Amino acid sequence: MDEKCAEVWQQLSTALKPHVSADTYKRWFSAVRLVNASADAFTFLVPNNIYQFWIESNHMAALQAAIVTTFGEPRAVKFVMPADALPVGAGDVAEPIEVVEPEPDPVRDAKSSGSPVGLNPRNTFESFVVGPNNEIAHAASLAVAQSPARTYNPLFIYGGVGLGKTHLMQAIGQYVWSKKKNAKVMYLSSELFINEFIDAIQHSTLVKFRKRYRQADLLLIDDIQFLGGKERSQEEFFHTFNTLFDGHKQIVLSSDRPASEIANLEHRLVSRFEWGLTAELQPPDVETRTAILRKKARTLHINLRDEIFDFLANRIRTNVRRLEGALMRVASFASLSGKELTSEVIEHLLKDILNEEARHAVTIEQIQRKVAEHFDVRIADMTSKRRPANIAFPRQIAMYLARELTKASLNEIGEAFGGRDHGTVLHACKLVKKRMIEQDNIRQTVSFIDSSLQR
Amino acid sequence: MKFSVTKEKLLEGLQQVQNVVSTRTTLPILSNVLLQARGNEVHLTTTDLDVGVRGSFEAKVDREGATTLPARRLFTIIRELPSSEIQVEVDGKNAASIRSGQSFFKILGLPEEEFPPLPKFEGAKVVTIRQKDLRDGLRKTSYAISTDETRYVLNGVLFSLKENKLTLVATDGRRLAMVDIDLEFPRSHEADIIVPTKAVTELQRLLTEEGDVKVSFGSGQIAFDLNNTLLVSKLIEGNYPNYRQVIPSETKERVTLERETFLNSLRRVSLLASDKSNSIKLNFSKNNIDITANTPEVGEAKESLPVAYKGRDFSIAFNPEFFMAPLRNLTEDEVFLDLIDEMSPGVLKIQTPFLYVLMPMRISS
Repeated sequence: MDEKCAEVWQQLSTALKPHVSADTYKRWFSAVRLVNASADAFTFLVPNNIYQFWIESNHMAALQAAIVTTFGEPRAVKFVMPADALPVGAGDVAEPIEVVEPEPDPVRDAKSSGSPVGLNPRNTFESFVVGPNNEIAHAASLAVAQSPARTYNPLFIYGGVGLGKTHLMQAIGQYVWSKKKNAKVMYLSSELFINEFIDAIQHSTLVKFRKRYRQADLLLIDDIQFLGGKERSQEEFFHTFNTLFDGHKQIVLSSDRPASEIANLEHRLVSRFEWGLTAELQPPDVETRTAILRKKARTLHINLRDEIFDFLANRIRTNVRRLEGALMRVASFASLSGKELTSEVIEHLLKDILNEEARHAVTIEQIQRKVAEHFDVRIADMTSKRRPANIAFPRQIAMYLARELTKASLNEIGEAFGGRDHGTVLHACKLVKKRMIEQDNIRQTVSFIDSSLQR
Repeated sequence: MKFSVTKEKLLEGLQQVQNVVSTRTTLPILSNVLLQARGNEVHLTTTDLDVGVRGSFEAKVDREGATTLPARRLFTIIRELPSSEIQVEVDGKNAASIRSGQSFFKILGLPEEEFPPLPKFEGAKVVTIRQKDLRDGLRKTSYAISTDETRYVLNGVLFSLKENKLTLVATDGRRLAMVDIDLEFPRSHEADIIVPTKAVTELQRLLTEEGDVKVSFGSGQIAFDLNNTLLVSKLIEGNYPNYRQVIPSETKERVTLERETFLNSLRRVSLLASDKSNSIKLNFSKNNIDITANTPEVGEAKESLPVAYKGRDFSIAFNPEFFMAPLRNLTEDEVFLDLIDEMSPGVLKIQTPFLYVLMPMRISS
């Protein structure tokens, strides 16, 4: 490996010399060594960071020109420095370099080697914390990334705000792109798609617009629910979808709700979205939340006591983004003020977030009121002994929701519904679950009430 | 808390601290200014958790106390007040009543206890610099700071204390500005520290022509004490690149340029530098420089400047903005431009210890 690299570098240097002045070569390139040459990237070892900054800013064009002259095509160029290339005590030079590869930074990569636009390099599979709430979505995404268009096409990911939809989509994009540099990866939000479409109509550049999208090898569209109600955009997307699908190109979509619940979305699109695999992301459980916090803290080099992680994970349940925001806030407060972080201090610091979280705690009473309102029955019917179907079923739905949304035990729920016993509540839950699977309209009704309660 | 003060004093006090106020909305307290009335002074403090400023103004304090008020709002109100006498009174619930002439304002604040305290420095190293020197040095370097956040060690000015010299350095990878200031300090105070852009900007605002500034640093923080005002900032962690590597060891040609004349010529010619390549060309011939720029399909510009030049004929291209930045911030009448050849960096110097390295651009023709 070393010998081969030395030889390659020899060739490169010869090609490089005419492009730079003798002084520049002596000053910047004579101390550079090539340590790794793969089919698509060269890794150079430089003495310290000024070499990297200066060569990147001023001599990249010359270096790339030399690479093209020698090898006929451009390669990605990376730099490593001795401090991070050689961890203490490591004997082998070649191996650790691969491991400690610094995270590719977005600006530089976009410039030097044309990475797909709009992908945040932090959003990779490695940085995604897998828990029972997102196992399936993660596994499906990984499968899609490893063999695009061969496993699940289209992949439809849905879930609430801040649960990782965008993270997974970008991870797929980056995985595919890192494996195959010439793959055309397109990542965009449906809003951008719509805007560009409108633009194309306005300037009569529809042909160009179509060509652009229909050439993609991997099309990732975020927040597809915004297509709802936009009829012509839907039609255009329908054709784009078909062209890509027929050409065996991978499509990945994300939405904040299942395809069938996107308002004003044409049926032919709904059925197509449900064609491949639909994966749901759910809010993480407490263990996963703790894991997320720890991972985030490690990448940001934040040191906090375990109790603080537990405190945050226990108190902030709904949203990963909010969880990370709270962590940042606590960490920056700690580092600046140097105050001891007690739970009172944190409570005070995160007052607004915790209040917001607390509002999501739903009571059985609220559920009863909402359900009664929705089915147009009296609240008294929720607790009464009467059981005609038009009252009994709403009551069962209310019990089911109480079971799902509150921490109340079966007995407590039974008590709140006019002193019924826990068996009745259990039966209601099972029944509602079963009917939700069997009947779409019931599932929609329940999830509608559910989401209006969470608001 | 209750005090009366003239409009000018209060405005001046607020102006010193209000730029630091956080634009982040996550912690509402950070958009407030802390007011503490004690003796015959009112202290003002703002912070965004990275940079903090503490200043004061004289006032007639009727009742001592402290509170925090929304800084931007307070500032805009005070600025608009009709009379020069202002009376501020704060009740137990942190509501401030502001009276001036016929006007009355009431604004709601937050309790003092919520305000994050500025860090304390204990056992820190201290050096004293003349304000004029530091102000001058920062002015000559700070325009070269990198704004590229991925190279975070470059997002500030390096303060390098070595061998009885303070060296200030800023670079963004394409150019580098450096100033040396003579300074007496013990060996044990030698250090390399990186002061972030925001602190540099604020510091430049606060520094004056007169007096000294006491600089204390240690454990990731730095404080600048300017008699009545204190600026505290986090330092950028990491190693500043070895900037000496960038400076050419020997140069071949030297031309002496009249700073203002040259700057004006550059500015005029750069009007026709294209956005894309954004370069202007300097063509050297005997006793003359031709400055040219052209943009395909737009047009071209050319200006000739007589100079004392006896070297060989050659052309070199630079980014006009990068060339004009130091010229704008220097005050000397004459500057020296040292060159090697069309592919090597140019170096701008003056009589005092200052140096600006500028990378040439490729000439495509």
